[in-house]
Amino acid sequence: MNLKNNLTVIWAEFKKSVKIWISYPIMLVFWAIAPFMWVLPFIFQGKALVGGLSSNAFKELTGSPHYLPFVLIGAMVSTYIFSGLWGVGNSLREETYWGTLEYIIVSPTNPIVVLLGKTLAEFVYATVNVTMQAIIATIFLGLNLTISKILPVLLIVLLLVIGFYGFAIAFAGFTLLIKEAHGWVHTLEWVFYLFSPIRYPVEISPLTKTLSALIPLTYALVAIRAIILLNKNVLHLQQTILILMIMDIFLLIIGYFTFRYLERKTKQAGTLAQY
Amino acid sequence: MNNNAVEVIDVTKKFKRGRGLRKKEIYAVNHASFTIRDGELFGLLGPNGAGKTTLVRCIATLLIPDAGSIKIMGKDIFKHSLTCRQQIGLLTSGERTLYWKLSARENLKFFAALYGLDNKQRDKRIDYLIELLDLKDVQNERVEKYSSGMKQKISLARALIHDPKVLLLDEPTLGLDPQFARFLRDFIKNTLNKKQQKTILLTTHYMDEADELCERIAFISRGQIIDCKTPYEYKRDLPHNEVLDLRCAEVKNLELLKNNLQRIKPIEKITLYNDNGITHIKLIVPRAETILADLIELIRQNGKILAIDVKEPTLEDVFIYVTGSRLSENTAIHQADAD
Repeated sequence: MNLKNNLTVIWAEFKKSVKIWISYPIMLVFWAIAPFMWVLPFIFQGKALVGGLSSNAFKELTGSPHYLPFVLIGAMVSTYIFSGLWGVGNSLREETYWGTLEYIIVSPTNPIVVLLGKTLAEFVYATVNVTMQAIIATIFLGLNLTISKILPVLLIVLLLVIGFYGFAIAFAGFTLLIKEAHGWVHTLEWVFYLFSPIRYPVEISPLTKTLSALIPLTYALVAIRAIILLNKNVLHLQQTILILMIMDIFLLIIGYFTFRYLERKTKQAGTLAQY
Repeated sequence: MNNNAVEVIDVTKKFKRGRGLRKKEIYAVNHASFTIRDGELFGLLGPNGAGKTTLVRCIATLLIPDAGSIKIMGKDIFKHSLTCRQQIGLLTSGERTLYWKLSARENLKFFAALYGLDNKQRDKRIDYLIELLDLKDVQNERVEKYSSGMKQKISLARALIHDPKVLLLDEPTLGLDPQFARFLRDFIKNTLNKKQQKTILLTTHYMDEADELCERIAFISRGQIIDCKTPYEYKRDLPHNEVLDLRCAEVKNLELLKNNLQRIKPIEKITLYNDNGITHIKLIVPRAETILADLIELIRQNGKILAIDVKEPTLEDVFIYVTGSRLSENTAIHQADAD
């Protein structure tokens, strides 16, 4: 299969995923409402804890007293991560439920190319969702997201998702072998929530601070918050961008070889189509 | 010149079963070897769990064997896996092998992309297959609305989307209504094999299907290929030419009945099994009428005779004779050679 064929497969998989996705109308309703619903708990939490949405203790850790913009950015960026885990990591399990996985594997297309199509579809879903979140956050919650900040933010998001989808591809291979995704996705969600600055600054504890350095999401969140909240430009973030690029290369290579290894193990174990 | 389309050479596949200390390895396929000639319709006949599907999955590159090698059109499937996969079309049983939320046409478009067909080739091929399988009126409806038979038609169209040389049909008529199973058998035999000259490996546990369709048949039992011949050769080589088939009720002691039957000469092979309270007795004899009187007397002492039938041996009788097991159902079999 040459490059043109592989691009055709990515596009075919993208179209297939979107068609299946929109065939469940309740999901469309859910995703339309979700962005409005997810911000409310953060507002209530902030008010209950500190009587408002800013505190001096928070300023000592982050440089800004405002809790809401901090958590809004964490929630939006983490949407990409969790959508990747569910959508890409769990996608081959879905093919098993549909009974179509063996027909993908028996074809001359490398299943990683199909996974890239799923990645593209997942990236688009996440982007639509995050765009709606960003509009709400800017108009109703006072997030200062100007046009000049959007491009640098998109660059960081792109660097984050490239590496993360590499990880998700490895995770897809893992679910192929162990036949279970939900428990692992929830565990990873828990790890990301605990050890990266999605909801709170990791400086809160030496342990979270140390372990967060291993998670690309930490660098992306620090950079995006610096752009949006502290008005830094990309030139000030060269080091972060370099770290994210190195992590991307590492995670893509690891993702590819881990998937191929686990696919082979699954074929040896004879569990490819098992539930 | 080698004109084999498929070569299975000494293939072994073991699986681990059980947990902890009880974990043990079982042979799903045990040193299996056979070849399928180019353009041949070849059957793999055996009961459930005999290893048919495992072998098909090995040939389709979905399973990696522990030992042995497999060649498609002379090429090793693991050294040249992409080339070999391009030559293979796979059809399995079961309804859930398609995207139910997509239409037939959308399903075929997706799988055409996986086989590298460009848009023009794809549309031409899909139009041809939709016409061939009479799917024109429903091609744009979602698969979830189709009957089992229609779904199997689309699965077959998918197996043919890239016009493969070798078709692997794993129990293709399982669970289909008789009318559609009939259509599918005719299509496999006349269109795919005779007209289009496809090499076909058909696995089945329906003896009539194998007998009707296949040029040669390999018997598989407990992972081993027991024999490989034409249906005619199997029946010809059976040393006895009549089968006495009895159905009895109220049989008190199956073991005792078996022991008594073994004393009647010249019964060559005895098979007994219980199914829903009915005892089935199958006897292979040179001439049925010579033992009928003794047989009726003996069985009446042990139970009640419901039916007696004298038949020509079928492929199933040959299978029982050769392997010692039946093709269908998991009923315990009591079997003995009479001498």
